[in-house]
Amino acid sequence: MEQNNRQIEVTFLWNGTPVTGRSGDSVAAALWRAGITTLARSRKVHRPLGYSGSYPTGVLARVNGRPNVRIDQVAVEAGLVVEMQNTWPSPRFDLLRLAQALPPKLVYGGFEHGAWMPKSGLAYRLAERAMANLAGVARPADTSLAATAVAGERLDVDCLVVGGGPAGIAEANRHAERGGTVALVTRGDSLARFASSMGATLEILDPRVRLFPGMELFGAYRDGALMVGAPHDNRRGAVAFVPRKTVLATGRRSIPPMVRGSQLPGVLDAYAALQLAAVHRVMAGQRVAVVGTGAEMDIAEKLAALGVDVVHRGPVAELSEIMGRRRVTGIRAGTQIRCDAVVHAGPWRADPSLGFQASGEGMFQVQAHPLPQSFSIVGAAARGDERIHAARHVHPDTLVCPCMDVTAGELYCHIDAGETDPEVLKRLTSCGMGTCQGFPCWENMLALLAARIGVEPEMFARPTHRPPRRSITVAQAAGLAALVEPDQ
Amino acid sequence: MNTLPLPKRASVVIIGGGVQGLSVAFNLVERGHKDILVLDAGYWQGGASGRNGTLIRPGFASVPWTELFILTVEEWRSWSKRLGENVMFTQRGYSVVSEAEKSEAMLLEGLKVQQSLGVNSRMLSRREIDDLLPAINKARVRAVQHQPEGGVAPHHAVMKGLLAFCQRNGVDVRYRTKISGLERTGPRVSAVLVGDHRIEADCVVSCAGPNNPDIAAMAAVPLNGFGMRIEAMALEPTRPLIKPAIALIDSLAYFHQTARGEVVGGTEVPERPRMSLKVDVPVMANMAKVYLEMFPQLGEVRILRHWAGQFHASTDYAPLLGEHPDLKDLWFSAGWSYGFAGAPAAGRLLAEAIAKGRIDRRMKPFALDRFEKTGPIIEGGIVLA
Repeated sequence: MEQNNRQIEVTFLWNGTPVTGRSGDSVAAALWRAGITTLARSRKVHRPLGYSGSYPTGVLARVNGRPNVRIDQVAVEAGLVVEMQNTWPSPRFDLLRLAQALPPKLVYGGFEHGAWMPKSGLAYRLAERAMANLAGVARPADTSLAATAVAGERLDVDCLVVGGGPAGIAEANRHAERGGTVALVTRGDSLARFASSMGATLEILDPRVRLFPGMELFGAYRDGALMVGAPHDNRRGAVAFVPRKTVLATGRRSIPPMVRGSQLPGVLDAYAALQLAAVHRVMAGQRVAVVGTGAEMDIAEKLAALGVDVVHRGPVAELSEIMGRRRVTGIRAGTQIRCDAVVHAGPWRADPSLGFQASGEGMFQVQAHPLPQSFSIVGAAARGDERIHAARHVHPDTLVCPCMDVTAGELYCHIDAGETDPEVLKRLTSCGMGTCQGFPCWENMLALLAARIGVEPEMFARPTHRPPRRSITVAQAAGLAALVEPDQ
Repeated sequence: MNTLPLPKRASVVIIGGGVQGLSVAFNLVERGHKDILVLDAGYWQGGASGRNGTLIRPGFASVPWTELFILTVEEWRSWSKRLGENVMFTQRGYSVVSEAEKSEAMLLEGLKVQQSLGVNSRMLSRREIDDLLPAINKARVRAVQHQPEGGVAPHHAVMKGLLAFCQRNGVDVRYRTKISGLERTGPRVSAVLVGDHRIEADCVVSCAGPNNPDIAAMAAVPLNGFGMRIEAMALEPTRPLIKPAIALIDSLAYFHQTARGEVVGGTEVPERPRMSLKVDVPVMANMAKVYLEMFPQLGEVRILRHWAGQFHASTDYAPLLGEHPDLKDLWFSAGWSYGFAGAPAAGRLLAEAIAKGRIDRRMKPFALDRFEKTGPIIEGGIVLA
C-alpha cells in the first residue's frame, strides 16, 4: 500500500518551475530527489542553505503565499506553489545573491553602527527600511489568507512522555499498564523514525496511551506543571498539558561539525540522511562521507545497505574542512576526499531546553537547577552529552549559527577583545537568536569559546533557552487564551 | 571586560549599568566629570534595558509626563551624534489606538495637553489610517492618536553606543559586580561596599531597576513603589508590515516591527504579583489574540521567543527622580515604567542636578517625596494596568 502510494507522481512548482515528486514525499525530499539542494539563503551573506536535519532555516520557504513554512514537514501536493525566500527581485533572478561577495567582516554583528551608516533623520529611516527588507528574509503572508484562532486543548494526564523513540514508547507503556492516563508527544509523524530506519524492532505502543504525533513540545512553564506543545500542521490546535509526572525521552542529536563548510547543502545529520534513504528512497549523495564519534560505522553500514555509496568513514575530530561552493564537493580529513554529501553521527548531545525551562531560576540570569521531582529523563537523553571537538583556531568562515549567519570569526572578534560572557556574546552577535533558539548552535558557540580561551565549556552558564522557538503560530497561540488561566 | 581591581574612591558611583545608569554616566562625562564608576550585579543588557519594548513617544495626557518626554525625544535625536555611535533612533511615528468610546475621549483630552505644549500629535482620519497602517483591522479601530515624533530605538544599539562612549571616556563600568552595602556618615551616604572592598564616593546614584528598593534598604531609607514583571515576545521576522510603533490602550498591548523584521511586543494579564524572569502561557496567548485581531496577516507567523523582565514601579507609575529627602548624596532614577524611553531625559536632568546643584523645573514634579508633599501625578495616557 505504502509502496503503491509512492508510485503516484505529483507535480508542484518550485520557483515557478514544475518539479515532480512522489506522493508521500515531503517537499524537501522531493526537491532533493530532483537534484535541488539549495532551498534557502542565509540572512546576511546569502550563503546557500538546504535540508540538514539540524537547522530549520535551511528548509524555510514560501508555500501557497505563506512565509517561513518548513518544507521538510509539508507533504507534496499537486499544484503546491513553493518559492525560495530572501531573494530580490525574484527567486529566479536574485540580485541579493551578490551579497556572497561581501567581505565577511563588513557584516559582523553591529555592522549597522558602521561609520558609513546615516545616523539620524530621513536618511537613517530609509537605510533602516532597506535593512528591514534585507533582514526580514520573507514577505508577509498574502492578505487573502484570513487567519482565525485555532482552538486548543487542555489535558490533565498522570504522565506526559516527550519523545517517541524506543525509550519513550517503553516508558509510556509502563505507565499505561499501571493504569494511569498517559500522553506521548512526538515530533515525527510516526513513532521511532530513527530506530526503525536503523532496523530496530520496536515495542507496540499501548493503545491506552494517547499519542500526539507531528507535535513539538516546546515549553515547560510553571516549573514544569504546565507543558505546551503545538502540531507542525498549523490548522490543528495547540495542547496545554497539565501532567502529574513528565518523562523526557527526547534523545540526543548529532551536533554539526565545527569546520568550514558545515552549513553547505549536502551536510546532513544521521537522522535526516537515514530518513531520506529509508523512507523517501532518496540518497544523500552519489558519494557520501560519514563522520562521527563512534556511531559512524553503524550509520555508514546502514546507509550502504540502503544503497548509498559510502566513500569515507572516520572520526569527526579528523574532519578539518568541508569543501564546496553551492553544495558539498569534498572533504579534508587527513587527505582530500571527493564526495557530494557529508553525514555526521556525533558528537551526540541532548537538547537542554525543556529541562532548562522547568528548572531555571534567577533574578539576574536564569540558570538551570536540578530538575523538579516530577521530572525524569530516560533513554539516550539520560546518557549525557558528548564532548564537542573544537580547535583553538577554527577557520573564521565556519558558520556557528546559520539562522543568524554568525561565523566563528565574528565570535572571535569579541572573544579576543576580552568578552567571554555567553549572554553578552549572544547579544553582540545574535548567535542563537534565530529559528532554533540556541540548539544546536549554543553547543558549538560554548565549545568554540572554551577552546579559544583554554577552559572547559561546562564552566559557562548557558544563555536562556526561551520558548516557543517558532513551534507555534500566532493563531495557534491565540487558541490557548481561554484555556490557561493567569497564575493568580 | 575590566579585570583590574576595583578603585578605592570614585567621585560618582552609579549602581546599575542599564540604560539609566549609563545615561547618567554619559551626561556626567559631557559635563566634565571624572572618576565615574558604574557597578552592575548582572550582565550587560541583562536587565530591563535589554528586555523592553524600545518604544519612544513625547505625548502623554498630563503636563509633567509630556514635558519630560518632550525633552527625552529631543535628547534621543542628538544621542547618535553626541555618543559618536549610531543608536538607531528612528522617528517612524507612534500610534496610540483606541477601540472604545471611553479611551477615544481620553486620547482627545491628552491631545489638547500635547498640542498646548507643542507636540505635533494629531488624530488620524480614516484615510490617514489606511495610508499609515494599511495592515490594521480597521473594523477594530475607533480612533488613532498619532505622534509623528515618536518611534523606536533598538536597545542593543543604544546599549552598545552608551557602553562604547563610557569606555572611551574613562568611565569604569563593571558588570557581574554586586554591591553588598552602603555606608552612611552623618546625614550623607559616603561609601559603597562590594564584599570586603570599600569604595568611597562623593555621590551615589541608584539606577538599579527592580533592585532599587534593595539599594534603599541598604541605606535604610524608604522608597515608594513595588516590583513588577512583564513579558514580551518576538515573532519570526518578515519584511516590513507595520511601520509606526503601536500602543493599544484598551487591549493594554504595545508592539512594533524591529529593524530586522521581528514584531516585538507585550501585554499584561491579571496575575499574582511576583518577581521572576520566567514566562507563562497567558501573556503569549493573549498577545497572540491581539495580533490576530488587529493584524490578521500575523496569524500564521510563528512565535520565536518569549521573555520576562522586571522593574520597579512607583505607586503612580511616574519616575522617582532626584536626591533622597532623608539622605544626602544618594540619588535615584527609579520607579520607572517608561524607563527606556525616558532615560535620555533622566540622565541629563540628574547629571545637571548632580554637577551644578540645579533642579530643572521638568524634574521637580518627579521628586521622591511628592506623595507626602503634592500627591501622586495623575497620568491617564500610559498603557499599564
